[in-house]
Amino acid sequence: MNAIELTSITHRYWRTEALHDLTLAVPEGSVFALLGANGAGKTTAIKVMMNLLRPSAGVARVLGTDSSRLGESDFARIGYVSENQQLPLWMTVRQLLDYCRPFYPTWDPALEGKLLAQFDLPSDRKLKHLSRGMLMKAALLSSLAYRPQLLVLDEPFSGLDPLARDDFVRGVLEASELGQWTVLVSSHDVEEVERLADHVALLEGGRLKFSETTESLLGRFRRMEVDLNSTAAPAGDLPKSWLDWQASAGRVAFVESAYATERTEQACRERFPDATVRAHPMSLREIFISLARAGREVVRSSAA
Amino acid sequence: MLPFSIELKPGLPIAEQVIFAVKKAVVAGQLKPGQPFPSVRVVSQELKINPNTAHKIVAALVAQGVLITTPAVGSVVAEQAAGDRAERAELLGAELERLVVEAKKLGLSLDEVSAGLAAHWKKLGRK
Repeated sequence: MNAIELTSITHRYWRTEALHDLTLAVPEGSVFALLGANGAGKTTAIKVMMNLLRPSAGVARVLGTDSSRLGESDFARIGYVSENQQLPLWMTVRQLLDYCRPFYPTWDPALEGKLLAQFDLPSDRKLKHLSRGMLMKAALLSSLAYRPQLLVLDEPFSGLDPLARDDFVRGVLEASELGQWTVLVSSHDVEEVERLADHVALLEGGRLKFSETTESLLGRFRRMEVDLNSTAAPAGDLPKSWLDWQASAGRVAFVESAYATERTEQACRERFPDATVRAHPMSLREIFISLARAGREVVRSSAA
Repeated sequence: MLPFSIELKPGLPIAEQVIFAVKKAVVAGQLKPGQPFPSVRVVSQELKINPNTAHKIVAALVAQGVLITTPAVGSVVAEQAAGDRAERAELLGAELERLVVEAKKLGLSLDEVSAGLAAHWKKLGRK
């Protein structure tokens, strides 16, 4: 089952199209990273999911319910923390928690206490006097203490120092439940979510470039290095899956975006008969950079 | 803190890297039989990895007999069977292959590689 399903969502702000025909599924139990540059449409997509924005077209379903009909009982199962969240700044941390607690039947006081200590939050200080990192941790705490089934984090790490970021990730993992616990996290920085995410989707200019499991993405990308051992130019056309082509004297380097050991070796042998070929695994970050550089359409439907 | 050393390299499957690091720690005596092994949650928090991945790691280590799960205590490091030297040598297979490939690329001889190995071996001592 999918925790979130977007079907053909388009959204326009006046004349600007923020999302174009976006179809996306976040499987239940996944930690799903929604990546893209600033302005790619991540926040708009999340606002549609959270019923904060009615899309110009399309349907969003969250935990099985049409997002435009999400009600109190649904939001009691959803945690939402956003970079630009409005919080009652006149309240102290303690007052914020006292205020939130009654709304959630599943509020876990033990987890609340544990996170409060772990986050090192001053419970008597007013929110308006907290640093950005502290404020984000307070917002996270008020969204984690009821162990939500679905946690939605919109750019949670932006502007956080490394220590606050570390606290934040630990907090999220403290509340994790194996199996049905789903996390959607948006970020413009792939490195922040590289280890956590088991699914990755990339938005560019309001359009989905791809959505697939981290495993399949890491599996199909390799940085290839070829020592030609001869001066002959490569024979034949280059496969479309070869990106970021670079050649210098006696050496060729490129990124294979559809790597399969035998098929890639075969394709290399055909084009560089006596060359030494090496394939290096790539990090998500390297993959994203090479995709951006190649600037080509590598659309692949969800590998779910 | 985790009771074994690991430095995750980006790009390689995380589960494989951690499983390998744990097995290495057991062979090296850093993890001793009977020693408690951290829970899935702790593994995931310490390494900042997906809890599903941490779960997969612990399950694989149990399945491979490296850890034993006891209901009340959690996981502990298993007594290593005496006859599994071959299995332990196999652990190094992939690393050895990588070493040989790198050495050949650099044009080193087997003697030079052996000498380098011996030097490192001595440096670490034998515990």
